[in-house]
Amino acid sequence: MEEIRFIDLETNSAFENMAIDEAIMMAVKRQEAPPTLRLYRWKPSAVSIGTFQSMNDEVDIEFCESNGIDRIRRITGGGAVYHDYEGEITYSIILPRGHPLVPDDIVESYRILCGGVIKALKKLHIEAEFKPVNDIVVGGTKVSGNAQTRRHSCVLQHGTVLLGLDVRTMFQILKVPAEKISDKMIADVRQRVTSIRDILKREVTFNELRDALMDGFSESLHLRLVSGKLSKSESEEAQRLLSEKYIRDAWNLSR
Amino acid sequence: MIVYDHKVPGGKLIRVKMVITDRKIESIQILGDFFLHPEEAITSIECGLVGTVVSSAALTQSITEVLENTAAELIGATASDIAEAILLGSKTSQSEEASA
Repeated sequence: MEEIRFIDLETNSAFENMAIDEAIMMAVKRQEAPPTLRLYRWKPSAVSIGTFQSMNDEVDIEFCESNGIDRIRRITGGGAVYHDYEGEITYSIILPRGHPLVPDDIVESYRILCGGVIKALKKLHIEAEFKPVNDIVVGGTKVSGNAQTRRHSCVLQHGTVLLGLDVRTMFQILKVPAEKISDKMIADVRQRVTSIRDILKREVTFNELRDALMDGFSESLHLRLVSGKLSKSESEEAQRLLSEKYIRDAWNLSR
Repeated sequence: MIVYDHKVPGGKLIRVKMVITDRKIESIQILGDFFLHPEEAITSIECGLVGTVVSSAALTQSITEVLENTAAELIGATASDIAEAILLGSKTSQSEEASA
């Protein structure tokens, strides 16, 4: 069985998390790092926007500033996501271009990699399915959003798996006019987005979801997870990307 | 500046911010939650559209040419979806001007 480096569930700032993802890609490109799967949380809680979105359009910056919520632009497309420290685990998987798990057919490669999350949910007795382009749904309701980029001779896919859902805070962070944050609108969102705790109607711990994700990715993608950590040069690259790119307005407010 | 949102049926949201003068695009920014690989191609698409006449055929052709030249792939939207966003946005502005 093929091996993949596994960087276990860790907590970082938004800027560190996005810098680490890109630093790993660059190391894989230089063939200095193996294919890698990582699990992480965001502290402080943060909002990330898709690479083609405008921070000012999508995010209530004032609310975020007064509530200590970080804001970052991803290198991947897709929509704005609220990364609640208490409510989700993010995964990222980085593979070299040409790897059989990431065919040139982009939607097909989403389907394959999302299989890891679907299998993880199955471990938790949740029947989920892939909904093209980039969602995983349970009974038609989204529980995981995923986004992919192909650069540095790699494919990176990262995605969130929702443990809990704080719709009211999500609405305050994302630019939804205050008068629209009605009970009805919150109910509407709950029709479209759900979480593991809501589905199972019980407390599910981060460790329980972490274990499920490890087994889910391993079994679905036929990979043996080998515990590892960032190399010194990856850490240095991540630090450079953080200070020169990810914390900067030139990147985060570029559109 | 015109700002117009176009939700692709069964797809993603495209937001165009543009200035149109004499039926030609003077400047444009294409935003949204779609995917484009490689992402940098968005700049080439936007540059290619500057000076383009606002007609469905010309806009679609301009975007398609850039996608082909840069071997880029749109996911969750198509070249004609972006063209339609621009076209619908330009019509909104015409109706606003007419009623002003």
